[in-house]
Amino acid sequence: MVNLTINGKQVAVEKDATIYDAAKACGIKIPILCHDKKLHPFGGCRMCLVEVEQMKGRLIPACTTPVTEGMIVQTTTDEIVKARKLVLELLLLKHPIDCPVCDAAGDCDLQNLTYEYKVNMNRFVDEKFNHEIDYENPLIERDMNRCIHCGKCARICDEIVSYGAYTFINRGIEAKMGTEFDGPLNCEFCGSCVSVCPVGALNSRPFKFKARWWALQKTKSVCSYCGTGCQLTLGSKDGKVLTTIYDENQGFHNGQLCTRGRFGYQFVNSDKRLTTPLVRKNGKLQEATWEEALAEVTSRLSAGKSDPASVAALATPRLTNEELFLLEKVFRGTIGTDNIDHSAGFAHEALTKGAVASFGVAASPSEIADIQKSNLLLVVKSDAYETHPVIGFEINLGVKRKGVAIRIVSDKKGKLTRLPGAKTTVHTPGSEVALFNALCKSVIDQGLVAEGVAGLDALKAAVADATAEKAGVTAEEIAAVAKDYATAEKALIILPIGLGYPGHNAALASAAANLAILTGKIGKEGSGLLIMGEKNNSQGAVDMGIYPKGTGLAASAIIDGCANGNVKTLFVAGENPVVSYPNRKKVEKALENVEFMVVADLFLTETAALADVVLPACSFAEKNGTFTSLGRRVQNVRKAIPAVGLAKTDFEILNALSQALGGARYNNQGEVFTEIAATVPAYKGLSQAGLKDEGAVYPVAVAAKLVPVQAKTAAPAAGKLAMVTGSALYHCGTMSRFGEGPMYVCPDAYAELNVADASALKIAEGDQVTVTSATGAVQVAAKVGKRVPQGVVFSPYHFGEGSVNTITDGAEVTYVTVAKK
Amino acid sequence: MIMPLIKGLQITISHMFKKPVTLQYPTERPEIKPGFRGLHALNVSHDKAKCVACYLCPTVCPAKCITVEAGEDANHDKYAAKYEIDMLRCIFCGYCVEACPVDAIRMTEQFELANYSRADFTYTKDRLLEKK
Repeated sequence: MVNLTINGKQVAVEKDATIYDAAKACGIKIPILCHDKKLHPFGGCRMCLVEVEQMKGRLIPACTTPVTEGMIVQTTTDEIVKARKLVLELLLLKHPIDCPVCDAAGDCDLQNLTYEYKVNMNRFVDEKFNHEIDYENPLIERDMNRCIHCGKCARICDEIVSYGAYTFINRGIEAKMGTEFDGPLNCEFCGSCVSVCPVGALNSRPFKFKARWWALQKTKSVCSYCGTGCQLTLGSKDGKVLTTIYDENQGFHNGQLCTRGRFGYQFVNSDKRLTTPLVRKNGKLQEATWEEALAEVTSRLSAGKSDPASVAALATPRLTNEELFLLEKVFRGTIGTDNIDHSAGFAHEALTKGAVASFGVAASPSEIADIQKSNLLLVVKSDAYETHPVIGFEINLGVKRKGVAIRIVSDKKGKLTRLPGAKTTVHTPGSEVALFNALCKSVIDQGLVAEGVAGLDALKAAVADATAEKAGVTAEEIAAVAKDYATAEKALIILPIGLGYPGHNAALASAAANLAILTGKIGKEGSGLLIMGEKNNSQGAVDMGIYPKGTGLAASAIIDGCANGNVKTLFVAGENPVVSYPNRKKVEKALENVEFMVVADLFLTETAALADVVLPACSFAEKNGTFTSLGRRVQNVRKAIPAVGLAKTDFEILNALSQALGGARYNNQGEVFTEIAATVPAYKGLSQAGLKDEGAVYPVAVAAKLVPVQAKTAAPAAGKLAMVTGSALYHCGTMSRFGEGPMYVCPDAYAELNVADASALKIAEGDQVTVTSATGAVQVAAKVGKRVPQGVVFSPYHFGEGSVNTITDGAEVTYVTVAKK
Repeated sequence: MIMPLIKGLQITISHMFKKPVTLQYPTERPEIKPGFRGLHALNVSHDKAKCVACYLCPTVCPAKCITVEAGEDANHDKYAAKYEIDMLRCIFCGYCVEACPVDAIRMTEQFELANYSRADFTYTKDRLLEKK
């Protein structure tokens, strides 16, 4: 620790702190325009000039000057104020005074400092800039005339997002923040640059002119897209969510959001939201009252009590823990059916079966914080970045800032493969388990097994015939990855799971766990296995027991049950099986066949359109509750706006049903959380008030054991391409389709081909192609690039039109032919 | 007792020979003093409202009677797509005029604002635009 004095106050800080950090630590505010706590010091704005006793005679920037023992610092002398005023005058020389029409007014650092330092006239005169404003892209508007050259946008895009869309171009008075060839912005549209811009040079177009910053009601909540559990502040006004507000002190990610969190909130106030219950009469869904709709549902569910096996429920892992707990209570408790699932049959087996078998708990043994504490990250599928972009930012930071090594095993290349020092092992699609078995064998062969691993002989026998060739990679590559992984002091495996990855199942989770256990990379900080659930509350859904426990039907079996008439009543809470489950035709047929289906959802989805009763549900912004993110962090979700139309929260719907069916009735959501804390072991001792803003990570007792798994390798079909599904960066599940932001950038389904395959098939970028498999055919646009290897096609599953699940059937890989339409 | 009565009558009689102060409204009109705060008007420049929808007037308005919604025109400029004043709530303090950074709103000399229905007191942008 270093001791120094600032404005007469004694302060002790870490030796790598700057004067600015030290002042902040003791509550002294130093004005600054080019600083963000996540970024490296820049020293570009000269607002934070301070005086150091030991360096008398000149003013030095506080943000780039490291502290030294015994420093005596003054932050506001007459000379400093004069210098800061001069800096502001020089900035205002070029900065247009268009505050009345600038969206940043009220939240503009330059404006605030101008007021604070009473800069009401300028001694200098100069022409303003006359740069062309970039209106080209739908999400980020760039008005470089307002830019004050703090460089924050370029730095955040480079240091954290690792995209590098901006840089300073030109020199001297002509210098400006520019893009590639000074053209329109074309990037990931995560909006990080917009969030850190201290003035109105970068604006969010969806929020443009909507409201003033000071008029917004700010509510701290949790993003409802992926499982990362990013915290966000919703800015709402007049019952509408208008924007997400940046707060550098929020969450583990310090306010960083991806394109979905930043620009995908519009689904909350979409015109397509259901505002009234619908009941099917004469074959058509017609508006009805809540009483009528609930009476219909209650009578069907009451009848189901006498034959519980004929009742089933599918829930989306987007619901809050309380709603999921209540759903489980109503169906498993009151009605007595075990046919409950949340797509775990397809997507979450890695947690519900794999993690349970290998670790004894249905959760990841690791946390998000382990990413930056590790020495080596082994990422399964480069898509980890697309499914969980903010985890991707954590990986970027770990690799670029902390020197964490990164190895990727994937069926295609991706953004993570471009990180410094990243080595990507591209294997044949669907051979992940074979690859991990080969890694385990290589670790054993190289004598890198940790001491005292139980069950080693069984694993040795199971992986005896595992070879690198089975995964389509060379033995040298496998040996190198195995050695790097085993010899790293701390190593973490990152495994994304979700509806787009049918191959990421229990077997793969166990295979990955075997590698971690075999090398002793378990049970310590910075090591282990991070299983990343796809949706915002995937972990919570598993914790609340939303999957069959005994002889009940899992999601795929429920669909089959609907088709063969064993399931007569189906309750769907927010899930959209028609689009997101494999084999769309089969699912549609099954749901048309089921006697009675209730869907509670925000929108009239493809599934809701087939229902007998549709109940309008509330979005995450209209309710209180808790979500559990992939790092086992339980966080508070807070209500920002009143319910849209006549919509009710799933908690209210299930509470009413529970009461009508003779079950428990709760007065509010808080009571359910109290019961969760009392009955769910992992949540023991938690209280909702105690979660505060930062949430709480619940502990797990990991009992690791080797679970030998056999690799199933699909025989490649001659002359066909191997199609793999997954997530697009801009989308998550099927809900992001209703957010304007994601749809501006990625509105349609596509199939991504390798350049060589595309030229052989005479397909160009943007061509409409027909993709045909044994299950069916679908028409999508072609995307041509070098990301996927030759012989592989990639297609995201989110879209209703051109739904890729029309041609899948739950297999890891679907063999397809692609032809120009 | 008698003296105050005489004094009172003196005042009464003196008024009989003075010019009356009562205005015979509506045939006679009062002289409006400068600075009088009557009905609002939106100033026009180059054939369109000067208002740029900066939201300062609804922010400063103590009665919260001004509703502004901004829009984006064909040149990507900001303009008031909606500008409404609920005259039943307005307290004619003139803060909106004070706050306006672009001299887009003023208060006219018009004081005759009585009406028959609640809706008639909602002054939309069209009604507020200064008539030339």
